Amino acid sequence: MRIHQLSILFILLLLLVGCSISQKPIDYGEAACHYCSMTIVDKQHAAQIVTDKGKVFNYDAIECMMNQMNEADAPTVALFLANDYSNPGELMDATNATYLISEGIPSPMGAFLTGFSSEAEASAAHASHGGELYDWEGLKEKFKE
Amino acid sequence: MVVKPASGAIVKVCPTCVLQSIQSGIYAASPHDTVWIEKATYQEYNIKVDRPITIKGDRYPVIDGEDQGEIITIYSDSVTLDGLFIINVGTSYTTDYAAIRVVKSKYFTIQNVVLEKLFFGIYLEKSSYGKVYHNKIIGDAVDEYNSGNGIQLWYSNNIEVDQNHVQGARDGIYLEFSDTISITNNTSTKNIRYGLHFMFSDDDIYENNTFEDNGAGVAVMFSKRIKMLNNTFRLNWGTASYGMLLKEINDAEIIGNTFEENTIGINIEGSNRINYERNNFIGNGWAVKVVGACYENKFRQNNFLYNSFDVSYNSNLNDNEFDGNYWSSYTGYDLNKDKVGDVPYRPVKLFSYIVNRTPETIVLLRSLFMEIIDFSEKVSPVFTPDNLVDTNPMMRRIE
Repeated sequence: MRIHQLSILFILLLLLVGCSISQKPIDYGEAACHYCSMTIVDKQHAAQIVTDKGKVFNYDAIECMMNQMNEADAPTVALFLANDYSNPGELMDATNATYLISEGIPSPMGAFLTGFSSEAEASAAHASHGGELYDWEGLKEKFKE
Repeated sequence: MVVKPASGAIVKVCPTCVLQSIQSGIYAASPHDTVWIEKATYQEYNIKVDRPITIKGDRYPVIDGEDQGEIITIYSDSVTLDGLFIINVGTSYTTDYAAIRVVKSKYFTIQNVVLEKLFFGIYLEKSSYGKVYHNKIIGDAVDEYNSGNGIQLWYSNNIEVDQNHVQGARDGIYLEFSDTISITNNTSTKNIRYGLHFMFSDDDIYENNTFEDNGAGVAVMFSKRIKMLNNTFRLNWGTASYGMLLKEINDAEIIGNTFEENTIGINIEGSNRINYERNNFIGNGWAVKVVGACYENKFRQNNFLYNSFDVSYNSNLNDNEFDGNYWSSYTGYDLNKDKVGDVPYRPVKLFSYIVNRTPETIVLLRSLFMEIIDFSEKVSPVFTPDNLVDTNPMMRRIE
């Protein structure tokens, strides 16, 4: 009986997960970047989008996500997410993050681009590594060039 | 104690000597001296090599960094490290600690060192004209975030990486912005991500290496004029796994390699003017998978043996050429006995298009229905590109 109830609950959960627009944990070391096919291993630079249909795409670097958005067949995105450099493995809302482009912190796809959820952390990294700070809008402009 | 041989003095370091630490030995040495490290265990880290000297270990003395950070950093030209056993590099999220780092230096040699319990192994940064020879790098990476790369070249050029064994790192050997590098006779195995990985690096050559049982064999990305000769890519199985990944690669030579038992032998995206000759593709899921636009690639004299799919395409043929290969699934005949099949071979199966579109249909592989549609497609091509043929399929394996 209990097993029966559990399995019903499980199926309901599956249904919920299947259709809701929400972030999914990235399977580091297994998942491949949707844009460049590289295996995602860096827990401080990965990114994720969730489309308006609830489809999830993972990226090994924030620059891959940005480049994908400039493609002709870019999907309609409901959520932009990115790793917070200060909290490895955590996904943050990419549209409210602060970004640093600095030779002092290499990123997986050669753009030297890193995201921070806290502006203070970003400023601290900027002070010690140099480079340029961007907000989300600024970053989008930068990748349109 | 200091003995004067012909070239430079010998400075001895041992636990009972005047000089008990490697760092004090280095500071006591003059340019072109040899610092001789007697066999013992030295608990040291942040060792700075700031003068052109040779540091030689006697029967592999152990340098134990006790997980404190970087162990040896070279800031001088013409330094040789020879015969050391280095263990316990510190790990950190924000600093890439290495067992041995070479910074903006030339004419270095790193040979016969053994590295264990590392974060990054040998890290060459803006350095050139050096040799990394016959080292053994054994990481124990279990998950990717607390592991660095075995041998990493960053903005470095004219380096020989020869006869090294790298295992259990994130990427075995990693090149970023590094040109004219030769990578020969190495074994790179059991690494979490790639056995060898190129990014934005041009005019490099890699030859006679073995890449086995890595997350994926070799990734070559955004690089020009790379020569890949006589390497072996084996046992790279998994969803994001392949023997070799080519992305945005132009003007490369891929000759005499063996791709055996990989999920995908070569995965090709946006790569142009590449010559594939005399390679063996044996028992892979896909021998060659072409994704997106690729122009002027030539496949000649390759052996395609017992792969589930020999070639798969998701776009047009785009003047890529298949000529004179041997295909184990070729069923044609050779009536005029010129060793070339009289019927052209179509390497792309209709089923591979279906699988590309709907990956789950792979469960229908080997089903009777698929055999029938593949056969009917072979007899009269309707869906597959008409011009994607090898007009001269060989009757015998190419030796």
